[in-house]
Amino acid sequence: MHAKALRHWLTITAVAISLSPLAQAADYVGGDEVTVLQGFKPGGGSDALAQLVQPRLSEILGVDFVNEYMPGATGAIAWTRLAKQSPKDGGTISITNTPMLMTNYIMNDAITYKTDELTPIANVVTDPGIVVVNADSPYQTIEDLLEDAEKNPGTVTIGNSGVGGDDFFTTILLEQAKGLSFKKVPFQGDGPSATAAMGGKIDASFNNVGNVYGQIESGNLRALAVFAEKRLTSLPDVPTMKEKGVDVVAGSSRGYSAPAGIPDEARQQLIEAFQTLAKDPDFQAQAEKRAMNLDVVTGDDYRAMIDKMESDYRDIWESVKDEVGR
Amino acid sequence: MDSSLVMIGLTNVLSFNNIACILGGTLLGLFVGAMPGLSATMALALLLPLTFSFDPATGLSMLASLYVGASYGGSIAAILLRTPGTPSAAATVLDGFPLSQQGRAGEALGVSLFASFFGGLLSGIALLTAAPLLGTLVLEFGPVELFAIAVLGITIIGSLAQGSVISGLLSGGLGLLLSTVGMDLTTGTPRMTFDQINLFGGIDFTVALIGLFSVPQALTLIENSHQGGKVASRITDRLMPRWSTIKQLMPNILRSSGIGIIVGLIPGTGGDTASWFAYNEAKRFAKDKSRFGKGEIAGVAAPEAANNAVVGGALIPTIALGIPGSSSTAILLGALMVQGILPGPNLLTDYGDVTYTLIWAVILANIALLVVGLAFTKMSVSVTKIPDGFIACAILTLCIVGAFAINNSLFDVGLMLGFGLFGYWMSKAGVSPAPMVIGLILGPVMETSFQQSMLIGNDSFGVFLESPIATVLLILALLSILQATPFFRWLRVPFKRRLKHD
Repeated sequence: MHAKALRHWLTITAVAISLSPLAQAADYVGGDEVTVLQGFKPGGGSDALAQLVQPRLSEILGVDFVNEYMPGATGAIAWTRLAKQSPKDGGTISITNTPMLMTNYIMNDAITYKTDELTPIANVVTDPGIVVVNADSPYQTIEDLLEDAEKNPGTVTIGNSGVGGDDFFTTILLEQAKGLSFKKVPFQGDGPSATAAMGGKIDASFNNVGNVYGQIESGNLRALAVFAEKRLTSLPDVPTMKEKGVDVVAGSSRGYSAPAGIPDEARQQLIEAFQTLAKDPDFQAQAEKRAMNLDVVTGDDYRAMIDKMESDYRDIWESVKDEVGR
Repeated sequence: MDSSLVMIGLTNVLSFNNIACILGGTLLGLFVGAMPGLSATMALALLLPLTFSFDPATGLSMLASLYVGASYGGSIAAILLRTPGTPSAAATVLDGFPLSQQGRAGEALGVSLFASFFGGLLSGIALLTAAPLLGTLVLEFGPVELFAIAVLGITIIGSLAQGSVISGLLSGGLGLLLSTVGMDLTTGTPRMTFDQINLFGGIDFTVALIGLFSVPQALTLIENSHQGGKVASRITDRLMPRWSTIKQLMPNILRSSGIGIIVGLIPGTGGDTASWFAYNEAKRFAKDKSRFGKGEIAGVAAPEAANNAVVGGALIPTIALGIPGSSSTAILLGALMVQGILPGPNLLTDYGDVTYTLIWAVILANIALLVVGLAFTKMSVSVTKIPDGFIACAILTLCIVGAFAINNSLFDVGLMLGFGLFGYWMSKAGVSPAPMVIGLILGPVMETSFQQSMLIGNDSFGVFLESPIATVLLILALLSILQATPFFRWLRVPFKRRLKHD
């Protein structure tokens, strides 16, 4: 009886809040405390996102966020816990990184969660893919690189951040789009891949803008192209792949998801909180200061983004898995 | 850019928090070193997971100062109890204990403290100057060169094990094998994971480290706890040595520090080798050799200067190349890895701010040691009287808390206990766990860089000979293997004969 009345009140409040943008604190139906499962170690990229987003989200929703770090298996331990073992009351959410979220289980049968066991809430940032070469590289433009790869199939060495990461799949997407064949060299993360390009150990590194921007500015690396929809304001002279007639848009994205089957009100409140957050000028300024490229996609649109990636990457993996396994 | 990183490191260290941590770490190290049966390595392994929540500078300062403190603390038990608190204080017993019987325990401890201070400070300065020189080569190091470094690192496995080379190779081989557990870094295929998702990321070597070093030590303490109480000598004279004594010992301290730095620099040799080496040299240079072993103060100064000088020396290859020179530096390397810093030549560039913080922390910790040592040495005598059983329980509790804290995972606690039992069996069988840890750390580096080199070099082994750096490193590795075989001894015979004739 009490619970029902309370719930009723909460709904009314929630509606009231969503109608009045001035209200600071709402009563979130998922409880006073929201656990955020983090699939990576404290101090990494996901944690940086949490530091930026959660204090502000906490004000909007009137809840406390508690981070729970469960690093391992490129996030799969936390995401398995989210999909299979977390309470479906909106009190537990997780930071979801794409495309790792789906490539994890597409590539390994032992990882059993699926994206349809999740409720995507909102994507927050996307770090677009970028092609960088050593400052002394003979490749001045992206055309130079592609021409060389066409003449000498299977010899141009391209570094990526690891098998299953976004750069690895971006390389394959480019290969398939242009009918090329690169020699893909996996590294343990974007940093080592960029360093190898800087030392001239590999011909080019497929990386992410946020990781190499400083080195491009200081002249240690040269950017040839970005895998974005349109040119980036931070790198206005670097062409997009689309301009060059290659329809590949890719990058590494981070957002928030809940388990499947959470109450609709909780989902709606979370989505609205992210929409409010996206409009906050202070938030936008802070994100820019930290070189985070905001790309807020909420609710059904985030679901569609995840579903499209899931089917795209599944197709890519099917076509290349025998070759990678060697 | 390099010099600015040096200054960033210095300013990082000089915050209130860090200085407090350095003082605390040194004091903790002093106590750990003073307790016979507890090694610096074990204390580092236990403290490591607890530094996760600290910022990199604070965590590293604390670990480095604990290492420095323990290097001196070992001499307290050696002088008062005739039991070296740490293996590297074994040589100190020879003259330290007779001195304390003559009622000169204070003088012996004071000289040990000052010798440790000078040794540590000199090695810290050597570290600060030598590491960047090696570090300038950074961009030259690609996968091919990294592979050569890893191979060189692996060849020290045999020499790391005290005693049997075979058992060292066994331990190292097991470490390499265990390092292959988890996803293949170049194909993404899970190996030896038995569909256990917790093993996909491989075995966290910190978990292995805690189990292998700390659990066996706790179990051994429990085993021996029924033995009678320890009787410590008392400190009756003053701790502060006379200036004339220090002045007289200075050449000895400088020589021993030099020995410590160089021995530390050579991977696979550590404080114990250096302190015996320095002791022997001190004896050789002394006018009156007969006084050694009966309470000669120079016999305390030499090993203590040397074993503290090893700290900075051993960190040079660790920081410049990512090869841990000893099990203690392996853990410090682990502390860097915990902060998201991969071992390798870019420690001094990309992660320069953190690395230089570590270097400055080593230098400052020696100054802290002098202060803490003068203030707390007398108090630390009481630490040596705590019953072993209590210490063992405290260690086991910390092992479990520490293993859980790494990834918030109970699976890791089980894994740690498994390693602990295995480590206990290893210690009973006389197999050193240090090579296993080196194998676990260097295994993935070696494997990944090999696969990358093969991709870059079009599947030809020639790629390793095209790089001058890699070629030199691989030749060094070959020599390092050969010097352990009879072949090399046979080569050396003519040299020895010639020396005798001279």
